[in-house]
Amino acid sequence: MKNAKRLVALATVAMLAIAGCGGSSTPENDHVLRIAMGSPGEAQIRVWDDVAKQYMAAHSETKVEINYQQDDLYETIGLQNLLNGKNAPDIYFEWTGARLAQRVKDGFAADITDQFKTGPLAGIWDDAVLGPYTLDGKTRMVPYAADVTNVLWYNKKLLADNGVTPPATWEELLATCDALNAKGIIPIASGNKDLWAAGNWLAHQTSRVVGEDAYATVLGGTGKFSTPEWEKAFGYIKELADHKCVNESANAIDDNAGAQLFFQAKAAMHAIGSWLVSWAIDEAPDLDFDYVNIPPMPDGKGNAGSVIGVATGYVINAKSPKQKEAAEFMALLNSPENVQAFIAAEVTPLAKSASAGAEIDARTTELNKMLNEAPAIVLPPDTGYDLKMADALYQGLAAVLGGQATPAEALAEIDRKLGR
Amino acid sequence: MLVSAALGLLALFFFFPMIWMVLSSFKTNASIFSTPFAPPTSVDFARWSEAWEVGNIGQYAINSTITTLVSVTAILLLGAGAAFAFSRYRFRGRGAFMALFALGLLLPLQSYFIAQSTLFTQLDITDTRLALIIPYTAMGLPLAVYLLKVYLDALPEELFDAARIDGAGDWRVFRELALPLLRPGLATVAIFSALSAWNEFLLALLYIQDDALKTIPTGLLAFSTRYVTDYSLLFAALSIVTIPMIVIYVVFNRQIVEGITAGSVK
Amino acid sequence: MKPTRAISPYLFLAPALAVFGLAVLLPMVLTIGYSFTEWNGFGAMTFVGLDNYATAIGDPTFRDSFIHVVLYIVATLFLEVLVGLGLAGLVHMRPGRLWFRVAIFTPVMLPMVVVAVLWSFVYNPDFGLVNAGLAAVGLEELQRVWLGDTSTALLAVSLVSGWVFAGFYMMIFYAAFRQIPSEAVEAARLDGAGEWALFSRIKVPMIRSVVWVTVLLCVTGGFQGFDLFFVLTNGGPYGATEIPTTYLVKTVFRNGDVGYGSAMAVILTAIVLGVGLVYARIQARGRRVDPA
Repeated sequence: MKNAKRLVALATVAMLAIAGCGGSSTPENDHVLRIAMGSPGEAQIRVWDDVAKQYMAAHSETKVEINYQQDDLYETIGLQNLLNGKNAPDIYFEWTGARLAQRVKDGFAADITDQFKTGPLAGIWDDAVLGPYTLDGKTRMVPYAADVTNVLWYNKKLLADNGVTPPATWEELLATCDALNAKGIIPIASGNKDLWAAGNWLAHQTSRVVGEDAYATVLGGTGKFSTPEWEKAFGYIKELADHKCVNESANAIDDNAGAQLFFQAKAAMHAIGSWLVSWAIDEAPDLDFDYVNIPPMPDGKGNAGSVIGVATGYVINAKSPKQKEAAEFMALLNSPENVQAFIAAEVTPLAKSASAGAEIDARTTELNKMLNEAPAIVLPPDTGYDLKMADALYQGLAAVLGGQATPAEALAEIDRKLGR
Repeated sequence: MLVSAALGLLALFFFFPMIWMVLSSFKTNASIFSTPFAPPTSVDFARWSEAWEVGNIGQYAINSTITTLVSVTAILLLGAGAAFAFSRYRFRGRGAFMALFALGLLLPLQSYFIAQSTLFTQLDITDTRLALIIPYTAMGLPLAVYLLKVYLDALPEELFDAARIDGAGDWRVFRELALPLLRPGLATVAIFSALSAWNEFLLALLYIQDDALKTIPTGLLAFSTRYVTDYSLLFAALSIVTIPMIVIYVVFNRQIVEGITAGSVK
Repeated sequence: MKPTRAISPYLFLAPALAVFGLAVLLPMVLTIGYSFTEWNGFGAMTFVGLDNYATAIGDPTFRDSFIHVVLYIVATLFLEVLVGLGLAGLVHMRPGRLWFRVAIFTPVMLPMVVVAVLWSFVYNPDFGLVNAGLAAVGLEELQRVWLGDTSTALLAVSLVSGWVFAGFYMMIFYAAFRQIPSEAVEAARLDGAGEWALFSRIKVPMIRSVVWVTVLLCVTGGFQGFDLFFVLTNGGPYGATEIPTTYLVKTVFRNGDVGYGSAMAVILTAIVLGVGLVYARIQARGRRVDPA
């Protein structure tokens, strides 16, 4: 027994010692450019790999390694682990908002303002675009693309055949649900198993009721969710549930399966983001579809034209000794040819050259226009704010939508989970 | 008669999902969705080869095979050594060390996987095959040591004394006497631990992010989340993974049953 | 046997002990250590004493997860052990053909992920086997969103578990039945005992020790369940199928809360070990213990 105990003690001391020195020394330039992101899909991956090849051809002494992590993992602890481990990425994907602010705070986001003024990144983007990417006057991120996180897509034929028009007001929305249900058609398809699909939609709707400022404040960490205003907002979600606006299976199927209901014309509408366009063109080429922003809410304090969206981009790691190479790579990524390649891969980069040349789907152009001209932008809970808060909020929204909890109960539960 | 009918019905219930899976892999997505029970119009293996390529199944199978083979070999060697020590020798600490391994039989994975993962992260072996081989070996050892010890205990002392008189040292006794006699036990342990390692999921999920190193369980999961609505492709992938296992079972049926029988009886 | 060199036994033992110690024992000790801290895995570690334990005991999700896993275990005791026992009895009466054993045992060999993906299709509310089958026999009103309805989800998952493991227990019991001396069975048969009486009065009691062990296996295995739950529902719908392990994994690997997760892990371990020890105690008292 003595031997065993001694062994364990020794090992523990050794391991704790290793655990203690977790921080790494300043990395040297090993001429490997490391890039990390959540998986953007096959088409985009091909473009990235191609740009990597282009870069390596032009800079023979540097190797480019791209790490495509599983989405959900990247967003939660994947990126954290990478940044704090050995071989931290030199360039990594991020969303603007609270997450970017956190990276700046932790010292992982380089100040690249100069790169845009006089460096390789100059002239690729309009100055206006840099807004969300700049904090305290310092630009911290290289723009990539902007998503509209949620709109209401609709099947033109299904609506027309059933004598309804895309809802422009809240009352019309409920009436449309009733009319479609009577014909045995799912009004709005949602695959909410992972909670964010309907979560983003309903969070946006809620912001229209409580107002963008209140939304940002409470989601940002100040104040309780259990307030009369929020209860009123959640009450509208209950109305959606009462009118059976969403498919019964919403909480059991994921977002892809939800989209399928829309593609198969079993549902007349689908609440999801701007990425639906390319996917629908692939999966359901005969589908004639368009979108409307969600209708204004009665007595809503929020801006009736607000758009829920998020700007994304790539951060250059402040701790990286290869920032110059990183900037050059990002400039190459946004060269006119590569931008066109991305457009062909169904993503619209924010670079100026995107508007010149190839055919972008009219709906995508409209969405970008709507986002650019939006009177107010609402950030999605999970990318604009703290993840734990977002989880709690999403669960609360899902519970009310699924009829599992009353608005008051759901809000109280959110507060309890967050310790407010 | 009734019994045979009951058996037949039960067998059908158990096997039907797999039959449905294979048949659906030959249909189109639309027809799977609208007419789930309709048989396929043609037996076309196109989706199967597509699933194999697109799904990288070959790579996952290689990874699973390497990980399992190395782990099982390690379990057999290390386990036999430890079982030999416990069974044929008396030494200080024997009881305590045996208790440690016995603890391993009951200890749930949850009690150590968290710290194991932080340990591996700090040792920087995550995203390597070692990150799976080490835990699989460690997790297979308690059962291996226990089973092999039981086999060794059953051997008469005279056998070993005779070898001693012949002048054999410890290592030779182990290698030339104990190991060969352990063959049935080793086979049983090999079957159990191979099955465990092949199907292990939680650690593979946590430790391996690199798609090139994924094993079949995690690879299949990644595949199924990427092609969530390409049902026939998914069914094809599932079929590709399932059918070899059925074939192996049918071929090695007797050994597998004997192994489990022997293991459970002891 | 006396070793030729005193150090020999230790040398034989060392490699196994090293691997086992490094990968299992050491992390177990570390986990206990982590449970007293607040830590995110790579940054600073703060000592918080018993706070995590207090939080865990007060956490409704954690408490509910135990209720769910216990319900699951009870269900699997029926669906796996009892059904396995029945199947073994049937097979023992009429030694089955290979196809029968293949059909029932194959699910045991499959990776849980395959099973989960397959059954998520079987339970698919739109075209899955279950709902389509119900429609085909005119029982549409019984159709459900099996994995999305809080009243059916846990049962649905348990059923899948039964589908997988009934064959495993069937094999074990069948092997045990084969060990029963045939004279005992034949004598009873000559006395006019029917098959059911043979089964319940002779066969099952004679393999009582095996049944006890399988119950222990089923219970401890149930507490450790993860794969099936993670892939099928991952705690949904609305946490109705959240079990301790899925909650643990979420806490540590999604929220980065290592300290809290470790405390929950320690509590879970204590329960599992407790069950095992109580079990061993009951068994030891009930029958003579074979020296290991």
